[in-house]
Amino acid sequence: MPDGSMNSKRVIVSGGTGFVGAAIARSLADKHPGCAIIILDLSPPRPQHALPDEVEFVQVDVASMAEVRKTLQTVKPDIVIHTAGIVPALADRFGRRLERDVWRTNVQGTKNMLDAAAECGVKAFIYTSSCCVTTDDMRFPYPNINEEWPTSPTSLIYGESKAAAEALVLQDSCSQMATCSLRPSVLFGPGDYQLIPSIHACIAKYQTPFIIGDGFNLWDVTHVSNVADAHVLAAENLMTSRTAAGEAFFIQNNEPITFRDFCLAIWAQFGHVPPFEIHIPKALAYVAGFVCELATWATRSSTTLSRGSVRDACAMRYACGDKAKFVLGYEPRIGIEEGIRLSCEVST
Amino acid sequence: MGFIGNAIYFAFHPIQLRSIIQWKVWHNPPHERNEKNDTETQKICYKFLDQTSRSFSAVIKELHPELLLPVTVFYLVLRGLDTIEDDTSIPLETKEPLLRNFKDFLTQDGWNFTGNRPEEKDRELLVQFQSIIVEFKNMKPAYQAIVKDITDKMGNGMADYCVKAATEDASVKTVEEYDLYCYYVAGLVGEGLTRLFVEAEFGNPALLKRPELQKSMGLFLQKTNIIRDIREDFDDERRFWPKEIWSKHVDNFEDLFKPEHKEAALNCNSEMILNALEHVEECLFYLAGLREQSVFNFCAIPQSMAIATLELCFRNYAVFERNVKITKGDACELMVQSTQNLNVLCETFRRLTRAIHKKNTPKDPNFLKISIVCGKIEKFIETIFPTQKAEDAQRRVKGELSRAELEKRKAEADSKSDVFFLMAIMGVIIFLVAGVMMVAAWFLGARFDLAWQEIRSGNFRPPAITQKEL
Repeated sequence: MPDGSMNSKRVIVSGGTGFVGAAIARSLADKHPGCAIIILDLSPPRPQHALPDEVEFVQVDVASMAEVRKTLQTVKPDIVIHTAGIVPALADRFGRRLERDVWRTNVQGTKNMLDAAAECGVKAFIYTSSCCVTTDDMRFPYPNINEEWPTSPTSLIYGESKAAAEALVLQDSCSQMATCSLRPSVLFGPGDYQLIPSIHACIAKYQTPFIIGDGFNLWDVTHVSNVADAHVLAAENLMTSRTAAGEAFFIQNNEPITFRDFCLAIWAQFGHVPPFEIHIPKALAYVAGFVCELATWATRSSTTLSRGSVRDACAMRYACGDKAKFVLGYEPRIGIEEGIRLSCEVST
Repeated sequence: MGFIGNAIYFAFHPIQLRSIIQWKVWHNPPHERNEKNDTETQKICYKFLDQTSRSFSAVIKELHPELLLPVTVFYLVLRGLDTIEDDTSIPLETKEPLLRNFKDFLTQDGWNFTGNRPEEKDRELLVQFQSIIVEFKNMKPAYQAIVKDITDKMGNGMADYCVKAATEDASVKTVEEYDLYCYYVAGLVGEGLTRLFVEAEFGNPALLKRPELQKSMGLFLQKTNIIRDIREDFDDERRFWPKEIWSKHVDNFEDLFKPEHKEAALNCNSEMILNALEHVEECLFYLAGLREQSVFNFCAIPQSMAIATLELCFRNYAVFERNVKITKGDACELMVQSTQNLNVLCETFRRLTRAIHKKNTPKDPNFLKISIVCGKIEKFIETIFPTQKAEDAQRRVKGELSRAELEKRKAEADSKSDVFFLMAIMGVIIFLVAGVMMVAAWFLGARFDLAWQEIRSGNFRPPAITQKEL
C-alpha cells in the first residue's frame, strides 16, 4: 500500500507452516517487505511449504490459552492472521470421530487467539474460515451463493466448527480491533497434499471412467496464492478504511467448474484421458456408498466411497465473488488453468 | 427434399414436426402489419426486404410499427453498401468513393446505381434505390441521423478494407483484426439498432453507456456465421479465421480441410467457438435491457439461433466438408423459446451451453478454457435468474417453512386423510365379502374346525395324495 499503513507492522500468521499459512507469509513478504512476519504453529517449518527468508517461528499450540497469551504478549503484533485449524481428511470428513479434536483446535484455538489479541492491542484480526460454514450442510444445493446465505449450525464437524469460530470472530469486531473472515472454497496449488494427489491417485486405481450424477454440477476451487492475496488485501483493508470489519467473504477463483472437468484437466496434465465413460446414477452411487460404509464399519478399514463423498461429488457449490471484489478489491491472479499446471509440475 | 422425403423425415422425427406446428399455430406476432395502408415505395421496400433476406424479413416485419420502417430502411441501406463492396467487377477507383460517399446518396432524391454486374444477386435493389431514399427521408430526423452515421462508418470501414485488399494482404491475422472485421460488418449494425431502440424508448438508455454489450451482440452472430461457413468461404477463396488461431493447429490454412489433419481441425474449430462463446454473457446482459416484446424477439431469435448453430458446429467435422444448418424443426423450437421472455431464453442458452460442454473433451488443448467459459455462462444465468434465494436458505436453516411449502404440506395432509378413508372402506368391504364367502362355505359343508386343527399341529398343506390312493 502506498500510504505505508502496512509498513514495519508486526504480523502474526498462525498455522503459518501449513499449506495456506505459508502461502500467506510468502504473499505478505512479497507485497510488504517492511512487515515483520512471525509464524505460530504446532509443527516446525515443512520443506513442502516454502517460507520467506526472514520469518520468525514460534512453536505454539493454539488450543492452549497459556501458550497463546505468552507468545502474543512477547511478540506484540499489530495484525493477526489466524489460519491454524484442523481439516479432517476425507475418511473422517463425514464422521464424528474427530469431533473433539476439531472443536478444540478450530473453536477453542480461535477463541484463545481472539482473546489474547484483544488483550495485546491488536488492530486487525483476519480469520481463515471456509465456504464449508455454509456448504457442509449437504442437504441443499448452493448455486451462486453470496454472503447473505446462512451458516449452518448442523452440518459436518468441520463446517460446524468453522461456523462457530467464525461467529466468535465476527462478533468481536470493534473499533479497537477490527475483524473479518475469509471463506475460501476447496484449495489447490503447489504443496497441496489432499485434492490433487487424491485425484491423481484415481488413475492408478482405474477409477477415471466413472461419472457420478449428470456431471454438470459446478464447484469453486481456489488457487492457494489467490487466497493468500485475499488475506493480504483484508489486512490492508482493516488497517485503513476498515470497510471489511465484521464481515465475511467468499473467496474463490471465480471460475466455477464442474468437478468432473477439474479432474479431467488434472488427469490430462498427467497424460491420462479416460478411455471410455460410465455414467452412474446418483441414487445407485448413494446406495453403493452406503454398502461401502457398512463394509468399512464391519471390517474397520477405510473407503473413498461413502454416502457423503457421493453427495460431495454431485453437489452444486459455487459462490458469487462480488462482495470480495467490491470491498476488498480481490480478483484472482492465477486462473485455474495456470494453477493446475503449476500444481501438477510440482507433483510430477 | 420432396413431399415424400419430408413425410418420411417427419415420420421419424415427430418432435421436429411438433415444433414446426407449434410455431405456426401458436405464434402471434406482437404487432401485425397492415399492408393495405402501405404506400407504393413502402411496398417496394418490403419486397426488397423479402428478397434480400429470408431469415431477417420475418422478424423485422413483426417489429413495433414505430420501428418497422426505420429498421427496414436501415437494413436495405446496409445491404446496398454490401452489394457494392461484394461486386468484384467494380474497379477500386469507382468503388472507393461510392462506399465513402454512400451516406450522402441517402439524401439525394432519385439516386440509384446501375453499375453492378448482372449476376450480383441484389443488383435490383440499387437500381431502384430511389424508392428507399423516399422512405429514408420520410423517417424522423433522429432516425435519419442514426442510419446516416452508421452508413458513414460502415462505408468508410469497407473502403479501407478494399484499399487494403488491393494494396497488401488483407487476410485476417490477429484475433484483434478478426474482432475489428466483425465489428465493421456486424458490430456497427448492433450499434445502429441499439440507438434506434433507445431513441424509440424501447431500450434502456443505459445500453448506450455500455457499448461493449451491443458490440458483443453483433460479434457473436458474425463469428457464428464465420465458423459455420468455413467450407463455403474456403471454396469462394475467402478466409476469415484469424491466423493467430489456426496457426496453432495447422501450418497451412488449407490443411484444415485435409482428412489427415482432422484432429487439428476439430481443435481449431473448438478454439474458434470458444472465442465466440466469450460474448454470450454480454449478449444476455444486453437482452435484459430491452423493454418491448417485438424488439426483444427481433434481437433474441438470431442469438438463440447462433448458440444452437455453435452447438451444432462444436467439434463437428462436417463443417469442414459441407454447409451445416440447424433443422427447420429446431429453428421453430428456438423461435418459440426466443419470443417469450428472457427467463425462457436463458433456459435455452443453459441447455445449449451444457450440450456444448458435454461434447468438450480433455484431448482438446482448450478443454479447460471451454469448460470455464461454459461455467461462467451458467453462473451468469444463475445471477439474473437465481434458482435459490438466500432468504429461502435462511428460513430452511431456522427450520421454518415458506408459505408455498406450508400450503403444499396442508394439501398433502388433506389428500392423506382421503386415502385413509378409502383404504378403510376397502378393508370393510373385503372383510364383509370374506365373511359372506366363509359362511357360504360352511353351509355347503366345509369343516373349518378340522382345517384349524391341522394348522395347529403344523400341517400347512393338505396331505399328499399318492397315485395309488387315486
